Order: sequence, then structure tokens, then C-alpha cells
Amino acid sequence: MTMKKYLCVVRSPSGKCSPPSPSQMEEMYAKFNAWKDKFEANIFDMGSKLSDAGKVVSQAKTLDGPFVEVKEIIGGYMIIEAESMEKAIEVVKESPGVGSPESSVEIREMMQPPME
Amino acid sequence: MNNNLVEHFFRHEYGHLVAVLTQKVGFSHIQDVEDAVQNALITALESWKHKGTPDKPHAWIYRVASNNVIGTLRQNNRRSEILEQKLDATESIDETDIESMLSNEFKDGILNWLFICCHPSIPIESQLVFALKTLCGFSIKEIAIRLFISEANVYKRYSRARTYLKNHSNELSQLKRIDHSIRLSAVNKVLYLIFTEGYLSSHLEHSIRSEMCEDAMRLTTILVDNSVGKVPESFALLAIMHLHIARLPARKNNANELLLLEQQDRGLWDQNHIHQGLHWLSHASVGDDFSRYHAEAGIAIEHCLAPTFNQTRWDKIVKCYDLLEKTSPSALHRLNKSVALAQWQGAEVGLTDLNKQNTPQWLLDSYQYHAVQSDLNRRCGNIKQAEISAQIAMEMAPTPAIKKSLSSRLKVNC
Repeated sequence: MTMKKYLCVVRSPSGKCSPPSPSQMEEMYAKFNAWKDKFEANIFDMGSKLSDAGKVVSQAKTLDGPFVEVKEIIGGYMIIEAESMEKAIEVVKESPGVGSPESSVEIREMMQPPME
Repeated sequence: MNNNLVEHFFRHEYGHLVAVLTQKVGFSHIQDVEDAVQNALITALESWKHKGTPDKPHAWIYRVASNNVIGTLRQNNRRSEILEQKLDATESIDETDIESMLSNEFKDGILNWLFICCHPSIPIESQLVFALKTLCGFSIKEIAIRLFISEANVYKRYSRARTYLKNHSNELSQLKRIDHSIRLSAVNKVLYLIFTEGYLSSHLEHSIRSEMCEDAMRLTTILVDNSVGKVPESFALLAIMHLHIARLPARKNNANELLLLEQQDRGLWDQNHIHQGLHWLSHASVGDDFSRYHAEAGIAIEHCLAPTFNQTRWDKIVKCYDLLEKTSPSALHRLNKSVALAQWQGAEVGLTDLNKQNTPQWLLDSYQYHAVQSDLNRRCGNIKQAEISAQIAMEMAPTPAIKKSLSSRLKVNC
């Protein structure tokens, strides 16, 4: 079965939350590694975090971004491979990134250019 | 945890780094160091998610943390070249060397830190919180949960120790060997408290409880590994820890309910820890020193070596409680002795012993006292008194787990 690629954009609420304690960090890291091992085949690019700075450019003018809503920021992105959207959802749903109730992940299928 | 990290890597690393780096740049910078270490751990977490755990994780975090400290010192215009040189010294060394240097330096750093925390001018409850926060890497909130006190209270205790140490930062760098010997008892006491707070908290979640016990044991092992800690008192302390940890696996049933000693499956006791306990107890039994830890280890070993509850040598245990009472008198020890006496010579003897004591108010306010009253009275046939005491004990029980355990033991319905 051909694998499709999905771009996952992680959104989290803006504003400072208190930093995790060392024990929370080791728990987060353990969960993350467990997830990564489980879905190794589906993770194409772990992506990275995105900085807060951003602009939206259009013909008319340049606006300050990032541009979703003030109370939401795009925290990072990653690219996963899956045979279907359903499978992609399953992979993302189990990822520690969606652990907190306020954060969400937008999943978009990436269209492949037709083979020559 | 997978990826070649030992369990509790982040928490332990926090403690190591705060201890080592603060001692390098001086106590007046402790807050900066704590922030720098916290940020280094977050950097590690983010970076390792993408790149995987590095081969030399200790060296990796050490570099980031010390760079963070240098950055902060510069930023705050507290530029001191001597300090920076101390931290920069590792720049040119390769990571394998840093790792081996750290493993020695960490042990010395942690140990020295313990002795610094146990400054006689700092109250013991502040020493305890300070050690839990800086050496064990628990947050204020996590300590509050573990000690059953408010976060504000934890913070107050913590700040008290930190302020004292910051204000006396000059004298701290010159801790002499003589200071070490004088403070050794205080260090043992803090380690003992970390252990017992973990062991007795009866917290529902087993992992929370055992974490503190394991940390106390880890630190005590470092202590007895150093010449300053090679004394019978510390050996006996380490023996107690092994002997209690040995019995942890049997303290709960599958439904997560607390089990009484009589109900525990002795086959689940960890023989390796029992052997370790015996080993350290034999090291402790040289010379003339007899500390409270010796007496407590003596009680613990009797339980560990008894093949069944009924074959326990209660006479030996009663003797150990007498010795414990001599080294550190406490009504709680006398209460325990009455229980042991009841096992050895019958409930009537135990009850008579209990009732002739002058019981202080704080013990009358605890569920333990009334639970023992109820149990002994029932065994003596004083059903009415047994039921009254059972009711009081149930009302005072601090957690549902204890309530449940009491209700089956004292034969009352919740």
C-alpha cells in the first residue's frame, strides 16, 4: 500500500505555563520515547518547534503573525507517513504532544507531485 | 526508561548539577544555578526528542548547564573571570573525560552538599525540604504532596535554608573535615527522614512512596562509600533502609490495599535487600557505638529473618525496643513495644504495659494509639472498650487505604 505523507501542525494555548519539574520531564521523555518506538515506521520527519516570531504576507500588506488566534500559538510541526487519514489520526492521537487538554494537532494530507 | 538513561535521570541530574555548579560559583548564585539547570534539562528534553539521547548524556547536560550559568552571570553584570574559568575548564576536554570526571566530582559534590545543608543553624525541617528540592530534584509542589504540607509551607522552609546559605556563602567553601564529623549525625538524620517520610506516608500511589526511599538509600550509599561516612551509625542506617525496602513488595495486595505484617506473603520479600541489610548490619556491629539506628535495624532484621509471623522472636524485638527507648525515648516506641510484648507474653501483658504509660496528647491524637487499644482490648475480651477505640481510630485515619486496613483488622464496618 502506498504511504501518504501528512503534515501535522501542533497548536497550543499561548501564555506562559509553569515549566515542568524534573520528574515531569522524565515522565514526558519516557512517554515520548515509547510513542516513537511504537510508531517508528510512521514518523517521517520529527520536525521541530517553531519560534513565536512570524509574519503573514499578502499582496496588500504584511501583517503580524502567527495568525491563528491570539490565544493560540503554533508550537511545532512534524511529518508522518500513513496509508490513510484514519491511521494518521491514530498515530497523532497517541502522541504525547496532544497530552494536554488545550493543545490540538491539525493534520493535512500532503499532495504528492505526479510521477513523471 | 529506555534510551540508555537510568531511571530518574532528570531528577538525579538536577540534584547533581545544582550541587556541583553552585559549589563552583558560590552559594550567592544558587538561584541562578537552579534556573540554569532547569533550563538545561528542558533544552535536553527538546533536543533529544529530535536527535535521540546522546552517548554521553551527563556531559551533554553539564555543558549546556554550565554555559547557561556563564550566560546568566555575564548578563547580570556579575562578571567574574575566576568563576568563568572554573566552568570553562571543561571546554577543551572531550566528553568521555568529562563523564569520568563528573562521576567522581558528582559524588563528592553531593556529599559535600549534604553536609552544607545540615548546617546547625538551619532547622531540621528546612534541611529536609532543602535536600529534597536541591538533591533529589523534587519541585515545591511534589514535596508538598509527599510531606502532606502546603506548598506555601514547603516554600517557606526551603527559602529559610536557602537564605541562610546565601548569606553565609563565604564560610561554606571552607568546610573542614572536623565539620564533617560533627555534622555526620545531622546528615544521617536528614537521610533517615527522607526515608521514613517515604516509607510511612501510606500514600496510595506506591511509586511516589518508594521513590523517596530509593533516593534516601542512594544518598546513604554514597555517604558510606566515603571515608567520612564509614562509621557504625551510618552503616546501621543503611541496613534499616535495605531491610525495610525488602518488605515493600508485600505491603499491598492486588487491590492496592495495605496489608498487615501477619497477612504479607513473605515469599515476596526481596532477599537481595535482606542480604544487603545483613551485610551493613554486620559492618555496623563493631566498636562501642549503639545508635537508634542499630536498635531499629535490630527490629527490622528480626522481622526479615522470621520464617512466619508466629515464629517471630518477639522477645528479641521487645529487647530492641527497650534499647531504642534508651537512645531516643519516644511514646511511639513505647506503644510499639506494648504490641511486641502482647505478641510475646499475651494481650493482657501488652495492655497492662500500655495503660501504665503516661501517653502524651500528640499520641492520643493519632489513630495508631486507638487502633492498638482496640486490638488489645478485643484480644483481652473487653469488647465494649475495643469498639469505642475502633470508632475513634477509624475517625482519625488519615487516608482511605489506612481506613480500609483498620476496618478489617479492628473488625468494624466502614
